[in-house]
Amino acid sequence: MRAATKPFLLCLALLVGAELVVRVFFARSMSGRFDYGYHPTAGFVEQPDGTVRLERAGGRRFFPQTFSRERPADTFRIFVIGDSVARGTSVASSYAGQLGELLRARGVKVESFNLSVPGYGARRKHLVLEQALQYQPSLVILHLNNSNEYEDEREWRRREEFRGWHPRNWLMKSLVVRRLHEMKQEKVYWEWLPASVRQQRAASDADAELKSSLNADKVRQWNELVRRQTGESVRLARERGARVLVVAQATAAKDAAGKPALDDNSLDELATRMRAEGAATLSMKELLSRRDWPPLFADGSHLRPDGHMVLAESLAESLRREKWVP
Amino acid sequence: MSFTSWQYPLFLLGVVLLYWRLPPRGRLTLLLITSYVFYGVWDVRFLALLLTSTCIDYYCGRAIVGERAPVKQVFGAALLPLLWLGGCAAFTEKSGAVQTWILGAAAAFPLLFTALYELLWRKPEAAQRRAFLLLSILTNLAVLGFFKYFNFFADSLLSLAGQFGFAPGWMLPTIILPVAISFYTFQSIAYSVDIYRGKAQPARDLLTFAAYLSFFPQLVAGPIERPNDLLPQFTKTAEFAWEHIHRGLRLLLIGLFKKIFVADNCALLANHVFNGQAELNAPWAMLGVVAFAFQIYGDFSGYTDLARGSARLLGIHLNPNFRLPYAARGPSDFWTRWHITLSAWFRDYVYIPLGGNRAGTARTLGNLWVAMLLAGLWHGASWIFVLWGAYHAALLTLYRLVPWLRKLEQGGLAAAAPPPAPREPGAEPVPATCSRRPSAPDAPRGDCKSPALAIAVMFCFTLIGWAIFRAPNLAVLGNWFAAFGNWSPVAEAWVKPSLWLALHAAPLLLLQWATRRARDEVELPDWPWPVRGLAFVVLFLAIASSAVSEQEFIYFQF
Repeated sequence: MRAATKPFLLCLALLVGAELVVRVFFARSMSGRFDYGYHPTAGFVEQPDGTVRLERAGGRRFFPQTFSRERPADTFRIFVIGDSVARGTSVASSYAGQLGELLRARGVKVESFNLSVPGYGARRKHLVLEQALQYQPSLVILHLNNSNEYEDEREWRRREEFRGWHPRNWLMKSLVVRRLHEMKQEKVYWEWLPASVRQQRAASDADAELKSSLNADKVRQWNELVRRQTGESVRLARERGARVLVVAQATAAKDAAGKPALDDNSLDELATRMRAEGAATLSMKELLSRRDWPPLFADGSHLRPDGHMVLAESLAESLRREKWVP
Repeated sequence: MSFTSWQYPLFLLGVVLLYWRLPPRGRLTLLLITSYVFYGVWDVRFLALLLTSTCIDYYCGRAIVGERAPVKQVFGAALLPLLWLGGCAAFTEKSGAVQTWILGAAAAFPLLFTALYELLWRKPEAAQRRAFLLLSILTNLAVLGFFKYFNFFADSLLSLAGQFGFAPGWMLPTIILPVAISFYTFQSIAYSVDIYRGKAQPARDLLTFAAYLSFFPQLVAGPIERPNDLLPQFTKTAEFAWEHIHRGLRLLLIGLFKKIFVADNCALLANHVFNGQAELNAPWAMLGVVAFAFQIYGDFSGYTDLARGSARLLGIHLNPNFRLPYAARGPSDFWTRWHITLSAWFRDYVYIPLGGNRAGTARTLGNLWVAMLLAGLWHGASWIFVLWGAYHAALLTLYRLVPWLRKLEQGGLAAAAPPPAPREPGAEPVPATCSRRPSAPDAPRGDCKSPALAIAVMFCFTLIGWAIFRAPNLAVLGNWFAAFGNWSPVAEAWVKPSLWLALHAAPLLLLQWATRRARDEVELPDWPWPVRGLAFVVLFLAIASSAVSEQEFIYFQF
């Protein structure tokens, strides 16, 4: 009996040991990871030196940035809150970074931060906004999109599942197991398998998302959710004294004749409604359709740095027009 | 209830904890109740079929050895399916869940069976045994034939009639295929035939037989057990020993690894290639079929390991169903390694009764074709499975007729070692091994110089067979073959997906390599215990890294 029991005991000891090590020594790294962007602090970490560091908000990260808790006097502080489109490939090349550079070149004392996280829909962007408003922004730029609501909903379910005690989640209570599972999903599953292969798994995210996006009722529900949540975000920001500018996303699509066309996905109308709440707006469709826009897109929705630059220039112009900056 | 559902571990834990605390009769009662619960979770109505099969085979089995049961007892037992269906009809919320004609059939069954039972006892003694055997076999085949093949044959017949311009316009009922029916009807037939042949004794009480036939670990997808192997373990239940727990847990771990880590992940690629919509080139076609080879092996052998592990936790041994099938040197060897209990069933109850290989080459080949076509049809009521059976029959024929292939499969066995000792009747064939230390004393020693070529050739043949098996129709199969003529790049690159396949297949191959000398492919070698412990950790983490939503086992549909 003892000879046969030993391997099982060793297996158990190693797994329990690994779990303890992670919980004791990597507690900070794991903190908030399984809140999937719904952690109350949303990834803002206040430092003893009076600064705020942007960390992970769920499995995904902000670009690492630090700013002071108190806005420096005479400084125009901009927070750009959005998803992967607004996030870009780096802070410097995103429209948040380029806008800061443009304004500085005009002599404005400005600091501009990119608070965008890939996959964030209206609900999680609102959580980021709630945190960001504690740090006296002069302007909040809300990047409006309606393609991430499925992900918001899914991540909320994941968070609830991880917190719940249903037996099907027991295995995933282990941080080691959970992390391993997610690492495989993110680094192997998503990286190695093309979307058409992933969609074969009936229960996969991709497939479920695709199905949902083809469901007109579901899309209507999402749009309604985006409208309600964004309205709340704009009202909150205005109540706290911050100016708000809503950027309505446009995607590269094809028209009935198969020619490239910009699609606002009904977001322009939604942005227009936000004007009633006191927000300024910028329509990407309107802006880009005036120029040769296809080279500005890296894919159907994400912009190349040149595309970000076009947005940044237009935003700078809008700020000047609204007389928010000199 | 699926083995990979979240409910199953809790269910099994409860059963195991209770089981070892109960006296022998209590254990049988527990197994019967839990097996019916396990099966009823899929569709509670089909328990009536299991009850019918139980009733017929129990009384026929005893009648074959001349034991007559009182008529009231037979009638009472035959009433159980009707009572069950009546209960389902009364308590289910869904109207029409139990159709009237089914209730009618269940009502006729007690009268019909009791009358037939009494009638057969009036036959001359010499004919009685045979008559009861036929009653058992025919009713089992009738149930299987109706529920599994009615739609298939009726559709085929109508389609054929349509070819000749005859379109009667009949609306055929859609018959739902009850889970596990192919497995438990075959096990029932083996029970009656073995009693008739004097190889097994019948169960002497209904509880034991009902628990035996419905035993939940192997009810749904085998292994298809022989009465001599399994029934004695029910008449005399095992004493508790820690060895049962250790071996059971190890089997469960390896089974989950094969199913969740290997099969479900390889399925992604196989499903993509065989969905009929993907643009394929030669690398993708190859990738898809290799992925399916690992998927189906991981899926079914994983199921078997889970079944064996669950049974072992209760002190019950189930037979292995796989023995490194992709190391087969030829088709005969393959069928001694793949779904062993099914191929042994067809060998003992179809091939040998037809004459086996005792009446010349032409007759032998004819018998092989019959057995393989039936084996193909057993897998599914579809012409594609018949084609798969025919393909394997052709392969067996080819290996018998072409000297080079025959020599390749046999690998110079005669020259390397004396012929193996004759096997006990009914004993599983011992696969040829290239080991210098054959684990079984009668294991033939293969030609150790070049088994690789034989294995590689057979693996390629097996892959073609899997393409036939997996393709949903002939058009998809044709596209798959045609893809080998296309070497230009397609929309989806194949390099990273092939890494995905390697990631999930390589650990299984490593495990197989480690167990290549063991008699049972889930026996870990004599590694030091720390290495075994580490192997368990790796297996566990592999499972955990892939645990997604519950995926159905392939063989459940058969």
